[in-house]
Amino acid sequence: MPHPVHEAIALQNRRAFLSATVGTAALASLLRADEAKPAPSAKAKRIIYLFQSGAPSQLDLFDYKPELAKRFAENLPDSVRKGQRLTGMTATQEAFPVAPSKYAFARHGKSSAWLSELLPYTAAVADDLCFIKSMHTEAINHDPAITFCQTGAQLAGRPSFGSWVSYGLGSENKDLPAFVVLVSQGSGNPADQPLYDRLWGSGFLPSRFQGVKFRSQGDPVLFLSNPEGVSAEDRRKLLDDLAKLNEMKRAETGDPETATRTAQYEMAFRMQTSVPELTDLSKEPASTFKLYGEDAKKPGTFAANCLLARRLIERDVRFVQLYHRGWDQHVNLPKQIEAQCADTDRASAALVTDLKQRGLLKDTVVVWGGEFGRTVYCQGRLTKENYGRDHHPRCFTVWAAGGGIKPGVTFGETDDYGYNVAKDGVSIHDLNATLLHCLGIDHEKLTYKFQGRHFRLTDVFGRVVTEVLA
Amino acid sequence: MTPLLLVLGASLVGTDPAPAGAAKVDFNRDVRPILADHCYQCHGPDAQKRKGKLRLDLDPTGEKRDPVVVPGKPDQSELIRRVTVHDAGERMPPPKFARPLSETQIATLTNWVRQGGTWAKHWALIPPTRPDPPKTKFATANSIDAFVFARLEREGLAPSKAADRATLARRMTLDLTGLPPTPAEVDAFVNDKSPDAVGALAERLLASPRYGERMAWKWLEAARYADTHGYQTDGEREMWRWRDWVIEAYNRNLPFDRFTVEQLAGDLLPNPTLDQRIATGFNRNHRGNSEGGIVPEEYAVEYVVDRVETTATVWLGLTLGCARCHDHKFDPFSQREFYQLYAYFNSIPEKGRAVKNGNSPPYIKAPTRDQQKLLAESDARLAGAEKEWSALRPVLAGAEAKWALSVKPADVPEWSPTRGLLKHWQFAAPLAFDGDRFTTAAAAGDFGYDDRFSFALRVKPRALTGALLSRGPDEPQAEGYAVELVEGKVRVALTRRWLDDALRVETVQPLVADVAQHLAITYDGSRAAAGVKVYVNGAEQKTKVLLDELNQSFQTKEPFLLGAGGGKDNRFRGLMNDVRIFGRVLEAGEVGHLAEEATIPQILAKPAAERTASERDKLRACFLERHAPPEVQKPYLALRSAREERAKFWDALPTVMVMEELPKPRDAFVLLRGEYDKRGAKVERAVPAALPALPKGAPNDRLGLARWIANPENPLTARVAVNRMWQLHFGRGLVRTSEDFGTQGEFPSHPELLDWLATEFARDWDVKRLHKLIVTSATYQQSSRVTDALLERDPENKLLARGPRQRLSAEMLRDQALFAAGLLVEQRGGPSVKPYQPAGLWNELTGTGDYKQDTGDALYRRSLYTYWKRTVPPPTLGIFDTGMRETCWVRESRTNTPLHALTLLNDPTFVEAARVLAERVMKEEPTPELRLARAFQLLTSRRPNAREAQVLLAAYERQHAAYAKNPDAAAKVLKVGEAKPDVKLNAAELAAYAAVCSLILNLDESVTKE
Repeated sequence: MPHPVHEAIALQNRRAFLSATVGTAALASLLRADEAKPAPSAKAKRIIYLFQSGAPSQLDLFDYKPELAKRFAENLPDSVRKGQRLTGMTATQEAFPVAPSKYAFARHGKSSAWLSELLPYTAAVADDLCFIKSMHTEAINHDPAITFCQTGAQLAGRPSFGSWVSYGLGSENKDLPAFVVLVSQGSGNPADQPLYDRLWGSGFLPSRFQGVKFRSQGDPVLFLSNPEGVSAEDRRKLLDDLAKLNEMKRAETGDPETATRTAQYEMAFRMQTSVPELTDLSKEPASTFKLYGEDAKKPGTFAANCLLARRLIERDVRFVQLYHRGWDQHVNLPKQIEAQCADTDRASAALVTDLKQRGLLKDTVVVWGGEFGRTVYCQGRLTKENYGRDHHPRCFTVWAAGGGIKPGVTFGETDDYGYNVAKDGVSIHDLNATLLHCLGIDHEKLTYKFQGRHFRLTDVFGRVVTEVLA
Repeated sequence: MTPLLLVLGASLVGTDPAPAGAAKVDFNRDVRPILADHCYQCHGPDAQKRKGKLRLDLDPTGEKRDPVVVPGKPDQSELIRRVTVHDAGERMPPPKFARPLSETQIATLTNWVRQGGTWAKHWALIPPTRPDPPKTKFATANSIDAFVFARLEREGLAPSKAADRATLARRMTLDLTGLPPTPAEVDAFVNDKSPDAVGALAERLLASPRYGERMAWKWLEAARYADTHGYQTDGEREMWRWRDWVIEAYNRNLPFDRFTVEQLAGDLLPNPTLDQRIATGFNRNHRGNSEGGIVPEEYAVEYVVDRVETTATVWLGLTLGCARCHDHKFDPFSQREFYQLYAYFNSIPEKGRAVKNGNSPPYIKAPTRDQQKLLAESDARLAGAEKEWSALRPVLAGAEAKWALSVKPADVPEWSPTRGLLKHWQFAAPLAFDGDRFTTAAAAGDFGYDDRFSFALRVKPRALTGALLSRGPDEPQAEGYAVELVEGKVRVALTRRWLDDALRVETVQPLVADVAQHLAITYDGSRAAAGVKVYVNGAEQKTKVLLDELNQSFQTKEPFLLGAGGGKDNRFRGLMNDVRIFGRVLEAGEVGHLAEEATIPQILAKPAAERTASERDKLRACFLERHAPPEVQKPYLALRSAREERAKFWDALPTVMVMEELPKPRDAFVLLRGEYDKRGAKVERAVPAALPALPKGAPNDRLGLARWIANPENPLTARVAVNRMWQLHFGRGLVRTSEDFGTQGEFPSHPELLDWLATEFARDWDVKRLHKLIVTSATYQQSSRVTDALLERDPENKLLARGPRQRLSAEMLRDQALFAAGLLVEQRGGPSVKPYQPAGLWNELTGTGDYKQDTGDALYRRSLYTYWKRTVPPPTLGIFDTGMRETCWVRESRTNTPLHALTLLNDPTFVEAARVLAERVMKEEPTPELRLARAFQLLTSRRPNAREAQVLLAAYERQHAAYAKNPDAAAKVLKVGEAKPDVKLNAAELAAYAAVCSLILNLDESVTKE
């Protein structure tokens, strides 16, 4: 679509949302890493989003409701439910019995944050985290809800968060993509909640802003390796020939797109070295695995992906998006959530600790959360030891840490049933606006015109939640 | 005179469309875009958001209050004062709005007021009138050139010289067929000295069946066509018959008005043909949500909204979706008008929750042309067999009577239907159940929701509640299937999830306690309540549907239980015997034979006149099955097999989802904020007021709407269609925003040309003629070479002082590689195919089932036939800027990323193609030089020049030396892909040629339409 000259103009235009002045982006700069200078107010340069796909139960992990123990199996009062719409899975259920969490909660750290016994490692870093307990969303089913978190709209077609950031700030690493996606399968509920390529798609933004998924099987990036029997040396010489022939053509046609193409082949070649080097964890010292756990040695686990996220951040990749599946616990929640926490608790905390030790936490935001919460009432059969929970958009918990986020804070409250937001509600748009703010981006000004509209990640909503900013 | 004809002054090509000087300002071209972008948010069509009662989308000079524009007098005009005043409180747009006007824009507004401040309706809403082609000093080939070259003349530019013949042959062949020309075709064109060589080439290409495949790709993107439903579960659907209809429609050059009407409302045409009904699949291609727990009404609304948005984008170039939640902010369409259009599309007999795997109703059987022939033959065979059988009827009774009299009743064995019988429990004495004990049979009755099956049994219930048989966990509301008595009523439950993914029916009439009764249940694999039948004593029972939401299979690994199911409180009490499980649907007559208690010897022992009807039926069936003489039995069996053969053939036919209309339209309402459950005022079907009215007497339904769209009077349809055809050839439309012809869209670069083309097209809606017109223009045939000066002046080639130069689209890149290698399998139509794709891609995202790659010919079909899974699109195509098929996509997009390089270099698709191309040239040419030149020519349509040939040869020699030293590496290179290399070829040579072919395949020139 756009000609390089126009890309350059677009690049200048899109920088308008940053308060810093950006010099003329020369044509050639497109071929190098974009030299974006974020606003001086920017605290963070990068984001790691630890997305917990399927929606973890806030009631069993974060949102402590001691009163519920007395209300075991009582029907949820209508005064609390207030006609809230339910999913088709429980809408025709005859009763809505309260299912108190079976897990013990305790206060942790100087900040006295409440956390359940399922998260001992997270508890140890509680003073670095900011818990937002009053998150709420609009959607009630997985696809629209995840799409909403990641693109600001429930329906498909808008650019993802990472694409907006990579479009807005460009890349700081000339050998790696600006937006990288890592996917892991949870041990909890393996069959449910698939993911979709479009979650990291660029929507109507040029496709070079889309996320590049690193895989744990086969090539880490699709088609990264040379075919068998083609050596790196063969390939290098072939690319030299390609450059030679393309240059002859360019001299004749005068089209700068040809030079851009040659440059992209060079970047591809560099990725053939930089990506395997990045994904090779064998040179990590023993202390790393002591921190992240042995799981981090197994490619494709959440722990390994957290470690990769740190390595990507070290290399200045802008946006690292993890997805961990398996949180959709309609039935047998205790067994599944224990498995999910075993997957994620240690590595999530390790990532925060690791970044902090390396001085990277101050300019990296780490976010942990899912697409909605889970109901206080039981889905299916209820016993003290076993229960299930349905989707619940009215309230859930997300934590964030690092670059520009206030550490050791709990923000927002829910009611005694953990069913409604009681104080300081934070919408998905508010969260996204706040995260963009940390990057020095005014969420109202980062726009792209398509179909006659100036689109934003935050649609026409969003408030920067200044209360959680450092 | 239309406002479009005012466009005569100089104009800029850069990003700012407004001329700064005193040149003639055109409202639509220069002023409206400024007002739309900076003012309409608060002073536009949206009445809710309007501030100060001021609208700037309509002429405000007639308003009673102080006019904001005083013609000719900028200093007296409030509009100009407010955009220039320094006081931040008065300044427009307000600083808070963060979209200030530039100096140039303010100058444009001022000049416009000075020149009279004339308002005009938005250009795209005024029907095009046919302009006369202007005069130009440059040589023209047709009227297109007159418009383009006259403009170049005004801009002080000149057209480029024509591209050389070889380049042109490649450009035209790619544009019109999606494949490159063969070297022979290029040579023939180069040597064709006739004055109409270009026209003849165009005719030949347009007549090729490849043309339809090429055009269909773009239409598939617009129609959001895919092989899966999308959303969470993304199960499979079957829409390829619609895809094949599109290909055929292009190839038979179905005029665009009929192409339109048949797709939007073919079902409403008088006596629609099968083809016309298949065509309506267009508006069933949207995504369908089958996720458990959705609110179906919510998605029923989404489907209708998608139809309105897609139809509006594809045919009208309007962003009507903006008016779903509120009045359109920029264009004159109200929210009410959105729902009036919605009302044309909401009366389809469909459900909000889509079927998880397979088509969602309404759908039809859609045999291909070949299958239609076979079906007719099968029908003829069946009719023949029926005729032969009925001819036998007069002698049948006699033959049976003769047999009955000839046997000794006690010697004739008992008979009952046994075809398809999988399991039969027959006990000497009926099995007694006491509400505690039950029987298990691990392997029996292992059925899922696609299977057909029947149960038959004799029961004498003591208690009227309890499970008769089941397969699933022995718990209440468990998954699996169960036949149970609930207060005497026979309930059949097929369950995946009790509350929302299950099917339950029960008889209206209860069974009687302590009486022996025969019970039969059949299920036809349709996943629907209508597919379950219950018979008591041979009579079909009226049933009540309790739930009809089965969406996933209920198959479990649990054992089959007799007398139990649903937990220990639900055991059967009573007697049971003669329990049978069939792997097919029993017919009513067969159930009657099973229910009949009298045995064949008993029936035979009775005098004929005393036999009951049921006894006579059973005896007749027994006679035909077992005892009839060959002259009777043969036609009987022949009829049965003809019926079965026909049914089997019918079952296997492809289906396609189509549009159908409910007898009584559903009510439609404005949905507040666009939310499905916030109904506002009721609305009737109507077209937007800003567009022409429906013609008098036209039906106010989908057909009327479709004809209104396909009417030459419609100001948008022809313009939008020709603009996309232009875009297909030039990479950008005359209106660059091909999806938006509204006020926020871009003003046409050549408004008069657009209108000329639109009026030309609407004369006969002949699509091939229009493509020919474009490719035979001198404008199209220009060389694409560009000078630095021209590049700076017109980087986007808006003025068309040169020919188009563009990277090939996703499907063309792959198809070209296969074609050049000689691998392409040109089979047209049929189910989608699964070519190479890295293992695990589906599984790592969905956790269920991975991609099963095809083998053989299916690997080498044109990309148009590649299976498209919405949530995980095929990477070989998805990486190259193609429409993602989630929603309508009409743009041409081209980016340039390192992933493209990795794919073209390393994807087995291209690695194999390069190697097979190498084999091809080794066989076709004798020397390295000739072989490399041939490979080069197959991909670029020209021979390499001396310098290029030298680089290629050096590369070959270097690679050859390397592979000669390392035969293992050579052997590995040759192993990529399924096509087996010719063992007679020298491996090191072949590997070296393959490397150079890969180099050629990756050349900028190879991947670009020059």
